[in-house]
Amino acid sequence: MSGYLESITPDSLSGIIFALEGVAGSVVLLNGPTGCKFYHSATSDNQMIRQLEFDPLNYPERWYFGQPRVPCTYLDSGDYIYGSREKIAEALKYINNNVRHDLLAIVNSPGAALIGDDLIGIAHSALGGGAVVAVETPGFSSDVCAGFETGVLALLDAMNPPKLDVRPKTVNLLGMSIYQKYYLGNLAELRRLLGLCGITVNCALCAGCEVAEIQEISSAALSVVICPEYGYGTAEYLKELYGTPYYICDGPPIGFAATEAFLCDICKAIGCDPTPAIEVIERARADAYVHISRVNSLTGLPKGVRVSVEGTYSDLYAYFKFFTEYFGMLPEAASVVCPRAALFKSKLEGLMRSYGLTDVPERDIYDAQSELVFASGATISRFKNARKKFVGIENALPGLGYIDVIPKSHYGVSGALLLVEQVLNGLMF
Amino acid sequence: MEIAIYGKGGIGKSTVAANLSAALSQQKHRVLQIGCDPKHDSTRLLLPYGHKLTTALDYMRVTNPQDYSLNEILAAGFGGVGCVEAGGPEPGVGCAGRGIISMFELLSLFGLKERYDITLYDVLGDVVCGGFAVPIRREYADTVFIVTSGEFMALYAANNILRGIRNYDGGNKRIAGIVLNRRGINDEAERVGRFAEAIGLPIIADIPRSEAFAQAEAANKTLAEFDSDGAEAGIFRNLAENIVHGIGKYNAEPLSDDELEHIVAGTQDAQQTSPQIGVTDAVCTTVVGMTDAHTTDVNKTKAQTGTETPSKPHEQDIIDFTSPNRYLSKNVIHSEPLHGCAFNGALTMSAQIKDAVILAHAPKSCTYISYQTMSSTGRRRLFERGSLLPSSIAPNLESTDMGEPEMIFGGMEKLVGKVAEIKKQKPKAIVVVSACPAGIIGDDIDKAQDLGDAGTPVFTLRTDGNMAGDYLQGMLMCYTELARQVISRSVRPEENLVNIVFEKVISKNTADNFALIESYLRQMGVGVNCRFLCDTDYESLKNFKKAPLNLLAHRDYTGKLLEDFFSREFGSKFFDLQFPIGLSETESWLRSVAKYFGKQAAAEEIIGAHKLLYENEIEKLRRKMSGKRLMILTYNHDIDWILGAAIDAGIEIVKIGILNFSQDEGFRTKLKLPVPVEEKYDRDNRTADVKKHRPDILLTNYTSISAGDVPLADTIPMAPGVGFFTGLDMIRRWAGLLAMNLKGEWEQDERLFRKYYTR
Repeated sequence: MSGYLESITPDSLSGIIFALEGVAGSVVLLNGPTGCKFYHSATSDNQMIRQLEFDPLNYPERWYFGQPRVPCTYLDSGDYIYGSREKIAEALKYINNNVRHDLLAIVNSPGAALIGDDLIGIAHSALGGGAVVAVETPGFSSDVCAGFETGVLALLDAMNPPKLDVRPKTVNLLGMSIYQKYYLGNLAELRRLLGLCGITVNCALCAGCEVAEIQEISSAALSVVICPEYGYGTAEYLKELYGTPYYICDGPPIGFAATEAFLCDICKAIGCDPTPAIEVIERARADAYVHISRVNSLTGLPKGVRVSVEGTYSDLYAYFKFFTEYFGMLPEAASVVCPRAALFKSKLEGLMRSYGLTDVPERDIYDAQSELVFASGATISRFKNARKKFVGIENALPGLGYIDVIPKSHYGVSGALLLVEQVLNGLMF
Repeated sequence: MEIAIYGKGGIGKSTVAANLSAALSQQKHRVLQIGCDPKHDSTRLLLPYGHKLTTALDYMRVTNPQDYSLNEILAAGFGGVGCVEAGGPEPGVGCAGRGIISMFELLSLFGLKERYDITLYDVLGDVVCGGFAVPIRREYADTVFIVTSGEFMALYAANNILRGIRNYDGGNKRIAGIVLNRRGINDEAERVGRFAEAIGLPIIADIPRSEAFAQAEAANKTLAEFDSDGAEAGIFRNLAENIVHGIGKYNAEPLSDDELEHIVAGTQDAQQTSPQIGVTDAVCTTVVGMTDAHTTDVNKTKAQTGTETPSKPHEQDIIDFTSPNRYLSKNVIHSEPLHGCAFNGALTMSAQIKDAVILAHAPKSCTYISYQTMSSTGRRRLFERGSLLPSSIAPNLESTDMGEPEMIFGGMEKLVGKVAEIKKQKPKAIVVVSACPAGIIGDDIDKAQDLGDAGTPVFTLRTDGNMAGDYLQGMLMCYTELARQVISRSVRPEENLVNIVFEKVISKNTADNFALIESYLRQMGVGVNCRFLCDTDYESLKNFKKAPLNLLAHRDYTGKLLEDFFSREFGSKFFDLQFPIGLSETESWLRSVAKYFGKQAAAEEIIGAHKLLYENEIEKLRRKMSGKRLMILTYNHDIDWILGAAIDAGIEIVKIGILNFSQDEGFRTKLKLPVPVEEKYDRDNRTADVKKHRPDILLTNYTSISAGDVPLADTIPMAPGVGFFTGLDMIRRWAGLLAMNLKGEWEQDERLFRKYYTR
């Protein structure tokens, strides 16, 4: 039957919820049925651990339904007819009085959005004022990254951070979400490398940041957009409101060369010295070299290995650039998630054109003859089920079930080394 | 006969409807009038002054579905006219259109309209959304009247109504004509006449401005009751007679906005292609000579059905919840907060038909969330054990990805297109399941059944997200509806075959359990025909009746409902034991199955070998475990497998608390237990109970540090594995842990987590 289902990916509702869940100390009330809640609570809790255990007896049945995150108003058919005012107000009062939080947000489910309840009005009358983030329209079937930015911008609008003096050598990191599989390791790695250059991360917006960091978001010298699909609109917003200049990475910093360019560009923009970080990169390249060289001397690989990748346009651009130019592997198929977020579409097409491989973005990843596939666990397992001969490497959620105790990264130097390791172990010879 | 009366708000629809109902009742017809307007005043003139009729939606809001009673929302008015009001939310909140849909579902449960000869729907001013269009869907009104005055906005609304009707009608002719309710404006008859002519409809009644209406209304009466001899009452009498004797019906041919404006203003001729219809001052004009009109004769219909008039409505006014049409989940029955949604439950179960494509009529988020529910266990199994379970790993699930345009303009076009696209893959069947937004906007997914053919039939499950109920309700809908639609009733049973019914598809041990049961059956020479619904295919499902015996995997609340359903609807025979867990159950189960198929010798061979092993092992454990104290707090309602093994091992059971669980109800045991079982256990008592009973072993579904300091805290699986050794294996594990007092050094590090966990 169907081989590869591009439509089975999260949409903007998830993007909004994960954006707001990405603020430490937030409570995101889902105004919707419990069916919309369970997945979001489980994923948020897995990605950004804040609880010790799963015992449902520790969480109230109503609103939390035995889970630690994303309380909900458990709407039913009557609420669709009469509106959800009472349930929202009751839940807000409970949370406000019983759950420690720095930020309160309400997000409508798709069904709830059709009722048209005035979320802010209800919140104000229930809580008597105070900043509440409300997203009334979850963006039916829009891309997850569009939803993420909707959530981020609603958050900034509601918090209305003050304009502060700029602190030199500080950056905000934009376009990183807890929905990204390795967000924690990626963030730690970027902090480390920027730190080597003397740069401090002011706020990693909605990627585990504190409310206090958001309040000071205007003090950064530069906004760095890691994934443009998730952060370009925010960068524009901050520039317009606070005059913060921004830098859009040439795709996420995946691979040694991309990481070096990333650091050099940022250092140049805010007057720092990338030399210490570049030395780290060079040492890592040396470490990688010896492993690749040994495998290559036995097998001739990884050169010529056919590789397919699933991701946003900027992910695809960054992964393929690294795989092709560093390893000498051959791009086979590029499967785009969030195709409507097309900022990097032409860059990807240009890259493939430069390799003489214009059909790669058009080729169906399911039918492609790939030896290595970088994709979500859902796609990898689907291909396994079709008895395809390939090695699958996870680069996105949902995963196959491996529990990462050590935070891993695909970004920066650590990320490049992990990818070298994954590629070498994924070779079939 | 079902009549819908539409028109702009405030145009007098309710007055027309009530007077028409009264006139029809005077002609000895059993009439039902349903007010489909949140302001719920449609039947006011029919009911005694001051009568407070509880609206259907208010009633549903506060009443447990099991207690629904028709008497609470139906009242008999003048002439025995049955009066029902939908009601709905206050202006500016909620979704009144969805309310209309819910009310129709309720009335359908009561089979209300079947008790009357004529049903009148008095509908809100305009067909503003799918909900208010319900009465003009093809399965409802067969006759539509449009009430209008000569005012432009009234005619504009009338034209809009025609657009709504055209969307539903295709080639059907259902519009009987225009009722002109005069407001006394200049040129009124001519304006309406030009409009009627342009759209090809007759003016079926012309109601003058008259004090008689005001006087009757002031007396809270219809004209038939207030002054039945008056000329105004005669208008409705004539209209009623026309309806009863057969009335012409026409297509909806709405005008463009420009055409409407010109025609009303008299600056453009009416369409020459339209039938010529004269506007007269006559009380009622019945159009004759329209050869393309379809007619309906109520008397003829009654004669054909053999019903007599008038007669009292049926006595039956309570929904029969033991009816096979009503299989409800525990959440729905008890009006509890809904756990999960019916959409998800129905998708998960449908996807077990491996060669069908399941189409979610939903936004992406709904489909994706369901996909995660059904595939996460499969992915983990692939990771852990390399096992491939197609319906878990790669469910054939697709989505219409309803977007903003569908929310506003309806999603049927997209659904139809998607079904056509899927048919090109040539699946054995397509199952369409609807999410909340589809239900709220009123998409009628059942229409998609017409898109099926012999090669690829299309089935529909109208779950409307969680509007049908919780996850379990969706499962039940899927089980019962697909069984009804797919299973062939003419298939003959064959020997030595069984069906396996109700395996839990998202449990991790389902595949292993099935493999073990299948191996037992194989050793007895019995084969498996269909796994309903688990990792099966369309043909197996169709040939369900080939197996003379059905084995329930789980005989819990849902299992018993399914047994009831299949026994009633298919005459299926069910084995009275569920898949056996633990020694005692496995022994009984094997003997009973063997007896049914006459394979006793094979069963005794299996039992003998396993029982010897069990007894040897339990004897060793008894030496270590005798006198240990066991406390169990669990969602599981059937735990004899562990209680039996614990008793065999000499363990003292000090407390059993059963937590409320949306998927099951009623603790079950065959053991004589040493302590009473506390059902609906209050979670807040846990710490105190641990202190009071001082268990050596605390068994719960989730271990918790807050449970207190017990020597051993362990977890009980929600769906334990089958076979002789399930309980034994768990006790062996406890014995090992207690003997070495193994707790794990890591448990001491909670304080460090709290100290440092700030990454």
